Amino acid sequence: MEQQAVWAIAIFLIIYALIISEKIHRTIVAMIGGVLMVAFGIVDQTEALHHIDFNTLGLLVGMMIIVSITADTGLFKYIAVWAAKKSKGNPVSILVTLSLITAVGSAFLDNVTTVLLMVPVTFSITRQLNVPPMPFLLTQILASNIGGTATLIGDPPNIMIGSKVEELTFMAFINNLTPVVVVIMAVLLPIFVLLFRKKIGTTPEAKQRIMDMDEKALIQDRSLLIKSLAVLGLTILGFFLHQALHLESATVALAGAFLLLLVTGEHKMEEAFSKVEWPTIFFFVGLFVLVSGLIETGVIAELAAKAIELTDGDVVATSLLILWLSAIASAFLDNIPFVATMIPMIQEMGNMGVSNLEPLWWSLALGACLGGNGSLIGASANLIVAGMSGKEGHPIKFVQFLKYGFPLMLLTVAIAHVYVYVRYLM
Amino acid sequence: MKLIYAYDEQVMELTETPNGQDVEFELRLLSENNWKRMKEVQKRFESDEVYTDVLFYPYENFRIRAIVRHDYYTDFILELMKHRLLTKVEWV
Repeated sequence: MEQQAVWAIAIFLIIYALIISEKIHRTIVAMIGGVLMVAFGIVDQTEALHHIDFNTLGLLVGMMIIVSITADTGLFKYIAVWAAKKSKGNPVSILVTLSLITAVGSAFLDNVTTVLLMVPVTFSITRQLNVPPMPFLLTQILASNIGGTATLIGDPPNIMIGSKVEELTFMAFINNLTPVVVVIMAVLLPIFVLLFRKKIGTTPEAKQRIMDMDEKALIQDRSLLIKSLAVLGLTILGFFLHQALHLESATVALAGAFLLLLVTGEHKMEEAFSKVEWPTIFFFVGLFVLVSGLIETGVIAELAAKAIELTDGDVVATSLLILWLSAIASAFLDNIPFVATMIPMIQEMGNMGVSNLEPLWWSLALGACLGGNGSLIGASANLIVAGMSGKEGHPIKFVQFLKYGFPLMLLTVAIAHVYVYVRYLM
Repeated sequence: MKLIYAYDEQVMELTETPNGQDVEFELRLLSENNWKRMKEVQKRFESDEVYTDVLFYPYENFRIRAIVRHDYYTDFILELMKHRLLTKVEWV
């Protein structure tokens, strides 16, 4: 192995270990890793810039701007209270309804944004009902990772996969992943009810207080609401049509974001930009450059060759290996760097003669997204809810989450296993 | 020291009830203008980073219920004063 490859592996492993240890913020670590790859001459700056996937970054920034402006209208609070009233104030029905809203929201907005919007409303509704918020928060974490699996924009691993593989369009994600996500949610919702129904009993007076609420009063700015809904609708329509329009998903999201800023006025721009999660964006930049070191030195190609050797190039074995490996790895590691490493590896397998890569991509998406439910550190959405909940005096403990999350993650991956096998490999 | 307050009964009706770690307020604003001021109070607490400091539940006819955490009681009263929904605030 060349000296440059040895350096690339060493930098990658040290940075990966630092990301897992969480001693230093992952964005700082990833960016330092990227800079080291350039400083050691493993990739030059031009190559490094070529490896940064601006489609992933543009999609994330665009959606963050649209959602931050829409959240100011009170729309998401309105939807949650409307749903609680439709559930007749019954906590068990509300738990199911909020889980469903979280899953659908995660599919079309992205799961991190969705939980940021749902957690405050959840505290409000549970306080009104005088029930513990924990069962609602746990089920929303699980639903956000499952719902996010359904579309190209739902979860960062899918954004990265969709961005790198041209033929995997928004519609391809819906056609291939949404059916299994619907099945998984249908299986999990009754389990949520069985697990938590005895912990969330309330009084008829508390239910009545929910029923008496005026959800229309939660809308804070009707004019902004109309503009935001129109642009959000157009953007989602754009995602459905992006292949026919010959536009990348980032172009659609950024067009939506700047159209909304155009119609809302300049005063919204500074505020909207300040709500973009820049640490996440730079985390991606650092990772792309970090992984580019492994690609340019041939390490990824070597790993792909070893994987093919291990499975004899058999698509069934490779797919199922990727599914379970991604799920277990994503449960305990950050799924974003894992997927950033796996993408070039699968592409390399294609170069080495594995002709049918499609089941491999869907296995990676399903494993990485669903695996995030395996532990509290498995996905960004989990950590965000835990952080928000802890700050409000309701800490979610690692073991407490593991007790529910890990077995349910195994169940969902088992369902995905059957789905991948029956649909693509039989 | 205790914080006491006074309000104009032509502006709103108000009841305050302690409830465990919280204090619950039931308010009914008697004009749309005062309702808008109340919404400003709500906006202030909903735009900060503490989600459970004051929780607001709007009802029809300009009625609103506020569940106020003990440690945010003073902030809530002062915010009502700031928006001229109270006429006097005093430490006694």
